[in-house]
Formats: sequence, structure tokens, C-alpha cells
Amino acid sequence: MQRLLYDRFASMMYAVCLRYSENTEDANDVMQEGFIKVFKSLSKFRAEGSFEGWVRRIFINTSIEHYRKKVKLYNVSEVQENTIEDNELNALDSLATKDVLNIINELSPGYKQVFNMHVIEGYSHKEIADMLGITEGTSKSQLARAKGVLKKIIETRIDKKIE
Amino acid sequence: MQDFKNNIYNYKVTPPEGMWERIADKLDDEKVIKIHNYRKSKFVFYGATAAASVVIIFLGSLFFKKNEKPHPSANVPVKTSKLLAQKIKDSINLNQKILESIIHNPKEKKEIIAKNSSLNRVNKKYITVANPDGQPVKISPKVATLIISADNEFPPKPIWNKKIREWQKIMLSTTVLPTSANLIDVVQLASKNDNSIDKVD
Repeated sequence: MQRLLYDRFASMMYAVCLRYSENTEDANDVMQEGFIKVFKSLSKFRAEGSFEGWVRRIFINTSIEHYRKKVKLYNVSEVQENTIEDNELNALDSLATKDVLNIINELSPGYKQVFNMHVIEGYSHKEIADMLGITEGTSKSQLARAKGVLKKIIETRIDKKIE
Repeated sequence: MQDFKNNIYNYKVTPPEGMWERIADKLDDEKVIKIHNYRKSKFVFYGATAAASVVIIFLGSLFFKKNEKPHPSANVPVKTSKLLAQKIKDSINLNQKILESIIHNPKEKKEIIAKNSSLNRVNKKYITVANPDGQPVKISPKVATLIISADNEFPPKPIWNKKIREWQKIMLSTTVLPTSANLIDVVQLASKNDNSIDKVD
């Protein structure tokens, strides 16, 4: 049964691990640790949501724990960041998923975590704040800065293509 | 922007080869630890059960030993005491029969009464007589017994009673108090008087 579960979720969860990790080696460690947690926690699944969502949550939590020592998000005062509208990142839609992932991976670990959790996974700032042990304000400012960095990366790439 | 979100969310990357083996090895290690813990807990469980059993058996044995009925061989004292009680009962019955027979037989009755009275007097009674000076003289129990027996002796012994009465006269007339020590002198004196009287007669 464990092997069946692995075969069913391995490739999807490995993509999650890569997205939250700094390198492949760390992603492999999180992948291993995450599956062991899933197998150990199967009896705790309450079937309140989808099983895939439950498994994904375990992998994200494992990634956060893995990087908790490395990544330190400092609580910042509510600074009015330059708001970047989502449509300014629409350029990402035109890129191949692999390229988008490469661009996301260029973000610093702190920005990457918040961006992945809010934009890709859809967690609210409240949930992110609870999971990462930060304030909602910090989560919002981290996201704003992550988007700013992404915008610059995209612009640079577009400029390079034009040249 | 929704497209790249969905694409990334559902993006799949094949894990490197050997990933499952690594996970399986780790799971085996966990199982070994689990089995070890299970065995340990099993050992603790059985140990605790054995200890509890020993305690229960010990306490149970104490309880049953306390409430145990005596073994048949232990009935010997009971039987003995029963026999003794029976003997006493028989003896009382016998005594009762004898007593009844004595009561209905005047001769035996007199004998018994005489014996009892003499015994009582030996132990308890003194005879107080008045000496020639009129002073009261208390005669010792031994002499008193000798004197009183003359009255109560059964069957009657006339010669002996006669002598006793003479001794009584001598003792009453003499100034020497009769005690167990000088009784012999008193009797000897009485005998001399008797002899002299007999010779005169």
C-alpha cells in the first residue's frame, strides 16, 4: 500500500519539494522525510478535505520545518510596499512552466516560501503567518517584495530576448 | 496569471532513481525500532503481569490460610475435650446416684455426715472450754478433732468414747492447758487415774 501511495503522489510531491527547496539535495531529503510522515500519519487523516491536499500540506510543512533554521523571516513594521498588481506578472503565463519554476527558484528562500504558499498554494496571509510563525504584515511585505523581484527578473529576460 | 499558477500547482517531476528504496530503508529502520519498542513493552507487560500474579497468589494464600478449616487430624484435642466433658458428666451422674442412694439409706447418710462434720472441724473448729479457774481455754484443732470424733464416730466405739470423756474431764480439771505438745502428758495422767480407779474397783 505504501508503494502504491508513493507511485501515486511521488512526482507531484517531488515538484513541491523542489519548489520549496534551495537545491536538489535538500529536495530529496524533504521528499524522503515527507513520505515517512505521510505513512506514519495515515491514521490521522479525517477525510475532511481531499487526500491529495492533506498529503501536500504535510510536504509543505516538512519543507518549512527543513528550512526553519536556514530561513529567517524578520518581522517588519507595516511598511507601505509598492504594490505590484498580479497582471504585471501575466508575462509568466507566456513562459513554459519549467522556465517559470526556474525564475521562482531565483528568489531568496524567504520570498520563495511566501510566494509559493500564497500565489501557488492559495494560503491566506493569516495561514502563512501561523505556519511560518510571523505576522500577517510580514507575510504581505515578503510577498510584495517577491513579486517585485520576479517582475525585475521577467523584465530582464524580456529585454534579453529583444536584444 | 491563473495559467502559470495551475501549471505549477499540478507540475510533476519524476523523483530520482532509488528514492523509493531510500524511503523503504528508512521505513524498515523505523519498523525495527518499532518492533524493538514493541518487544520491550511486551516484556514490561508480561513482567508486570507476572509480578501482579505473584502478589495476588501470595495475598490469596494468606487469606485462605487464615480462613482454612482445621484438618481432621487437628480434631484430636476437640475429641479429647469432648471425652473429658463426657467423663465429667458421667461422674456427676454417678455422684448424683450415689448421693441419692445415701440420702435414702440412713446408715450411709450418717456416715457421710459424720465424715464431713469431722473434716470441717479439723480444718475450722476450735473447742473453747472453761478451766477450773473459770477462764476460757481454746483447745487446738488436733485435740478438738480427737474429742469431737468420740461423739460422731460411726459405728459407735463405747470404750473409746468413754476414754475420751474421761480425757475431757481431766482436761477441764487440770490447770495445764492441753496443746498438741502436752496432750500426751494429759493422756498419761488420765491413764494413771484410770488404772488406779480400776485397781480400787
